[in-house]
Amino acid sequence: MGEIRDFKSGRPQSDNTQPPGTSMPRRLAAIVAGDIAGYSRLMQLDEEGTHTRVKRTLRDLVEPTIAEHHGKLVKTTGDGFIAMFDSPVEAVRCSIVIQQNMIGRNAAIARDNWIEYRIGVNLGDVIIEPDDIYGDGVNVASRLEGIAAPGEVFISGGIYEQIKHKMVCGYESLGDKKVKNITDPVRVYRVLPDAAAYQRTRRRRESILLTLLGLAIAVIAGGVLWYMLAQPRGKPADVAQAPPPPVASPAVQPPAPSPAPAPSQAASPAPSATPTQQASPAPSASPAVTTPEPEMVSLQGGSFSMGSNDDPSERPIRKVTVKPFAMGKYPVTVREWNACAAAKACGFTASGKDDVPVTNVSWSDAKQYVAWLAEATKKAYRLPSEAEWEYAARGGTQSKYWWGDQMQSGHAGCKDCGGDAAAEQPVKVGSFKPNPFGLYDMGGGVDQWAEDCWHRNYQGGPADGAVWSGGDCASHVIRSGSWKNDARYVRPANRDNYDTNVRYPTHGFRVALSP
Amino acid sequence: MKSAGLIMFAAALTLLAAPAVAQNKPAGKDTKLYFIWPRDGARLKSPFACRFGLRNMGVTHAGDEYPNSGHHHLLIDVAEPLNPNEPIPSDKSHLHFGAGQTETQLDLAPGKHTLQLVLGDAKHYPFNPPVVSEKITIRVK
Repeated sequence: MGEIRDFKSGRPQSDNTQPPGTSMPRRLAAIVAGDIAGYSRLMQLDEEGTHTRVKRTLRDLVEPTIAEHHGKLVKTTGDGFIAMFDSPVEAVRCSIVIQQNMIGRNAAIARDNWIEYRIGVNLGDVIIEPDDIYGDGVNVASRLEGIAAPGEVFISGGIYEQIKHKMVCGYESLGDKKVKNITDPVRVYRVLPDAAAYQRTRRRRESILLTLLGLAIAVIAGGVLWYMLAQPRGKPADVAQAPPPPVASPAVQPPAPSPAPAPSQAASPAPSATPTQQASPAPSASPAVTTPEPEMVSLQGGSFSMGSNDDPSERPIRKVTVKPFAMGKYPVTVREWNACAAAKACGFTASGKDDVPVTNVSWSDAKQYVAWLAEATKKAYRLPSEAEWEYAARGGTQSKYWWGDQMQSGHAGCKDCGGDAAAEQPVKVGSFKPNPFGLYDMGGGVDQWAEDCWHRNYQGGPADGAVWSGGDCASHVIRSGSWKNDARYVRPANRDNYDTNVRYPTHGFRVALSP
Repeated sequence: MKSAGLIMFAAALTLLAAPAVAQNKPAGKDTKLYFIWPRDGARLKSPFACRFGLRNMGVTHAGDEYPNSGHHHLLIDVAEPLNPNEPIPSDKSHLHFGAGQTETQLDLAPGKHTLQLVLGDAKHYPFNPPVVSEKITIRVK
């Protein structure tokens, strides 16, 4: 940093007043160029608001982040900035930090108002002048930024060669690209800052391959069928159409399915089956065990922005990566709870309808239930961590509620969502729409305990989705909000706490299961 | 124990007399719920300690049915009246102290705030008549 400063401050030894002389200082530097995607649109939408927000972002995020990574902000334009770094690693790190912070900042606002940077990083020999830098290297950086998608960081081959073994993150090669006004094509890489993004690209490729494969099989199968049906006309066709509906209902499995669905069935399963929603229903159907197990939904885990700016307890927003786990499809019901009570492993017998969530449960009560369930089923049942709860509640979304930024009826049970707040018990589980992960009542209905002790905000919280140890264990985290709370409490980011050993009529829980 | 019996009798009477407030336990005689700190009209810096005082009744763990005792609830900036027929709400403006706490640390945004204490019974219902403190107003710098 010192070196850059010397150049920038206009060569302290020589006199400052002179215009830059013939010996222009040149140096090799990593140049970061960033600009805001859709800036004109944002300005049209809300000129003053956008301007203030962009300024604030620059002041609170971009400038300090560059300084932290030993870089130098060269200049800012209306919607962008150019910075230079001695170290390519620091330059890319800085870019990733800016992008990830922007995710967090955007999480709390409507999509239309998102400020998203596109960032390009290039290594080049540049000319330094007091207020600006010039050269091919700068142009390439801004071209890279120009082709980057909003929220992404594109780096040149030169940078990639420097950092590939030094930074733990994924890179996707986009090949050589011809960029405007630069003669030689530039090798471009997309930075994949976290494991989830890396997985996503890999999965995307896999699913494209699988789809192609599926299509090929379908075409072949279709061809074969057509050949079989069309050629010998008469009898075989009748036979093929005969089996399906009436005869073979209970015992006899039709060996060959009807001709039409066959190819599509062959084609569909592998690529499109969403891996997130594999419910593993294990109800009381199994003959030997009578333990009613809550229905679980497997979640594949991944990164998300945890928290929001809506309440001081939900700050700071940070990136959290959750490992794969399974979450109860519904909160634990009275029926499920009373099996534990009947086994004398839970403290009280719950009254009320079988299908409503059990309530008036303290954290310690909930712990007794999961301990009993884990013992009875020999499965690793437990309470979810706070991070897991929010990950599951968001269902892959970053909006205020999982369905968007506005309250909509039919999505959650709460005081001003059209529910009956005066009711003594919540409505039965699954009365509202499931979230994108197929989970019901993640927000509203009953409050739900998490495993974590209470921390009043996310300062110093873990990023691995695990239970946050320490904190105030006289109270524990409670999530979801209840049918007696208003819409603010239904937000997936909402968090509160309650005394560990105290029962309250709106408190319930759901179980999690380690794979 | 005689007084306990009397209270039970009174409870039974209330039960018969007013089915609407059937859930509510009778309050003790001459009870006073009050803020030891802060004082009404205080100007202070956040976070600050808030201490609860109670005279002629006891503080106990929520869920405990000891007669003539209850646990504290602190209402911050709550304007709507208390509903005696429902458990005291639990949210960010209705703080519960069911473990028998008699003080807490408050971190409030700068500006004017009102604070009020309400004593709740084992099941978080207000007593009959409700045992509440004066509603005090403080200013956070």
